[in-house]
Amino acid sequence: MSGEYTPLTVRETREEIGGLAKTVVFDAPDWDWTAGQHLPIRLVINGEEVRRSYSISASPHTEDGLRICVKRVKDGLVSNVINDTIKAGDVIEAAAPNGTFTLAPGGTKRRTHYFFGAGSGITPLYAMLTSVMAAEPNSFAHLAYGNHNENSILLEDELNAIWQANPDRMSIHHVFTKPGWWSSAEYWRNGYIDKPAIEALIAENPPYAQDAQYYVCGPGGMNGAVKAALMSLDVPVDRIHMESYGGSAKLDTSVESMAATAQVTLYGQTQNVAITKGQTVLEAVKAAGLKPPFSCQSGVCGSCKAKLIKGEVHMRAYMALEDKDIDDGAILSCQSLAATDAIELTYD
Amino acid sequence: MTNMLHLLPVEAYTRQEWFDREQRDIFSKTWRYAGFMEDVSEPGQYITVQAGLNNIFIVMGRDRRLRAFHNICRHRGTQLIRAVGKTQKALTCPYHDWTYDLEGNLVSVPEEEEEFGKVDKSCLGLKPAKVDIWKSMLFVHPDPDAPSITEWFGPVEAHIGPHVPEDLVEYEELNQSYEIKANWKVVVENYIDVYHLSHLHSGTLQMYDHKAAKFHWEGPHYMFWEPPVESFAADQEKKLIAPRVIPEDMNGAWVPMLWPGIGLAASEDGWNVFIIEPLGPELTRVSNRGRVSESSGWEFAKQSMRSSYFWTKFGLSGKYADYDAMDDNDPMVSGDFTAEDIYACEQQQASLKSPFFETGPAGKGESPVVDHQKVVLEWLGEVK
Repeated sequence: MSGEYTPLTVRETREEIGGLAKTVVFDAPDWDWTAGQHLPIRLVINGEEVRRSYSISASPHTEDGLRICVKRVKDGLVSNVINDTIKAGDVIEAAAPNGTFTLAPGGTKRRTHYFFGAGSGITPLYAMLTSVMAAEPNSFAHLAYGNHNENSILLEDELNAIWQANPDRMSIHHVFTKPGWWSSAEYWRNGYIDKPAIEALIAENPPYAQDAQYYVCGPGGMNGAVKAALMSLDVPVDRIHMESYGGSAKLDTSVESMAATAQVTLYGQTQNVAITKGQTVLEAVKAAGLKPPFSCQSGVCGSCKAKLIKGEVHMRAYMALEDKDIDDGAILSCQSLAATDAIELTYD
Repeated sequence: MTNMLHLLPVEAYTRQEWFDREQRDIFSKTWRYAGFMEDVSEPGQYITVQAGLNNIFIVMGRDRRLRAFHNICRHRGTQLIRAVGKTQKALTCPYHDWTYDLEGNLVSVPEEEEEFGKVDKSCLGLKPAKVDIWKSMLFVHPDPDAPSITEWFGPVEAHIGPHVPEDLVEYEELNQSYEIKANWKVVVENYIDVYHLSHLHSGTLQMYDHKAAKFHWEGPHYMFWEPPVESFAADQEKKLIAPRVIPEDMNGAWVPMLWPGIGLAASEDGWNVFIIEPLGPELTRVSNRGRVSESSGWEFAKQSMRSSYFWTKFGLSGKYADYDAMDDNDPMVSGDFTAEDIYACEQQQASLKSPFFETGPAGKGESPVVDHQKVVLEWLGEVK
């Protein structure tokens, strides 16, 4: 069941980009996920339980196995503990992978996938790209990948290997913000993945399969900029899929919350929960003694997703949801403030 | 009793009623060839194509993705755009200037307030069709939810030759279209009749070994391959008219007929399409285009000069000798296999309405003809 944590043994770890990141591979042969999803994990650090969600950096359609790739965040608690201490044989508690920023490959599907990523945003995109190469034989893929320079390219060897194995179906375009002066590393463009870069990528690699899809995963500001650039090129919004990585998601704090009563269904049980002014739905549900699924508590991972049946809520952030999910009533309970005095929702 | 041409009544080749059924049940429900990918290769470019009963246009957006829509204004049905051309960001119907964006959304209705009060534009977008590229060719399907083009043509890919048409360039002189006074099925049957190759084309296609031909069906699609005869295969580099485009161990003529009426003809030095479009019960248009190696003009000149000695001695000739010619343009003395085929198709069609017309037995090499008739009957729902 979603939200339940299970101990997983670490099979192997690998240092990436000179110790600035670490790949952690789990022994989890029976676990299933969709490319692009996260793995919620729970650690106890200095006696405190902390939860995080990391994108799974592998396709379920390859032999890479269930794994995450964690980049050190400056002054970050969990990322540095993982990089400094986690080793093969350790046990980490993890919950079922989740998230709606996904690419499910289809054997008969014929699409052109464009990936725009920067920094550690490559991890879900790598899972998607390798899924397309492994399980969507009639489709094509093009990746624009932004980094400081050649020293910060996560999964570089693996990216090169997948490209070499599929030269007719994919391409990779490195964009460096700070290319080294004396470096001989080859890259495609200098600067950011901005509108001119996106236009050039598409002009140099026009879609061959006409069902084109666009996936964006980068730090805060990049996503909005890429989306705006794509839309200015006539890309319909329902073909753009995105997720924010690192940086700070912009919070919409414009709405004051109100006290309300929520009728909550969780694990088949329904009960009324009081929400006080200023409390999020998730906080209220937890305060009532229930054990709802949750992880990042910042609107990124989607673990705490619920469906709103009655009433209205205001979401301060909803990075983990796509427009169509919201149309279907999906809410992130960790970001939802009651906007009517009676609401009804279900986690099931 | 109905006069039959193997499995089909003669009326299937002459009557408007059969033509209408085929337009509705075959040509409106299959992927329709719309041209080469370079025909719509810049944002704003568009072309139109008739797919059975549907007129469809393809337009490229600034994201370089192709969109296809039924070419019908949602107001009163006027065709929105004509033939080929280039637009900017919008498509305007000439009748009342209703305007759509490249996603097919209705964006403007002139004098909306005075004329209508309010028009719910969101319900009046253009009706989408499906478009894709396969083997460097544009295809449209009238149904936006049709299965993907690779599902439709995927099974044939292993049988139509090793050519990579995307890597070849169009040879403009091969671009031609002509009308044949015959039913479209007569033209298809001629294309897939293996028996006639050694006879009608005894002087024009003898560089391939018709007795060694291999042919079979992949669903509704006909597959055909035959090897070069020994005298053409030996030291072949000196005999190819244009630079080679396939590996030697895949030599031969690859000539499939995809359903419906989408012929390909590829060999050691080129790749061609032969598109059969029914215009009426007794009138059919054939459109040819072709691709060759992307080599320099000098490479072509060298290959052409080098091969001319062989072809002079090899002796391509007309079916009939010059002294038998009816006139200066007699296809049967032309030494041109296309002219020979057109002649045979039109002569056969002309006989169909004779009260004395009767069909003889179909030979083994004509089994594809009978099998194609089965496919036609299946698509018309006539198979029990």
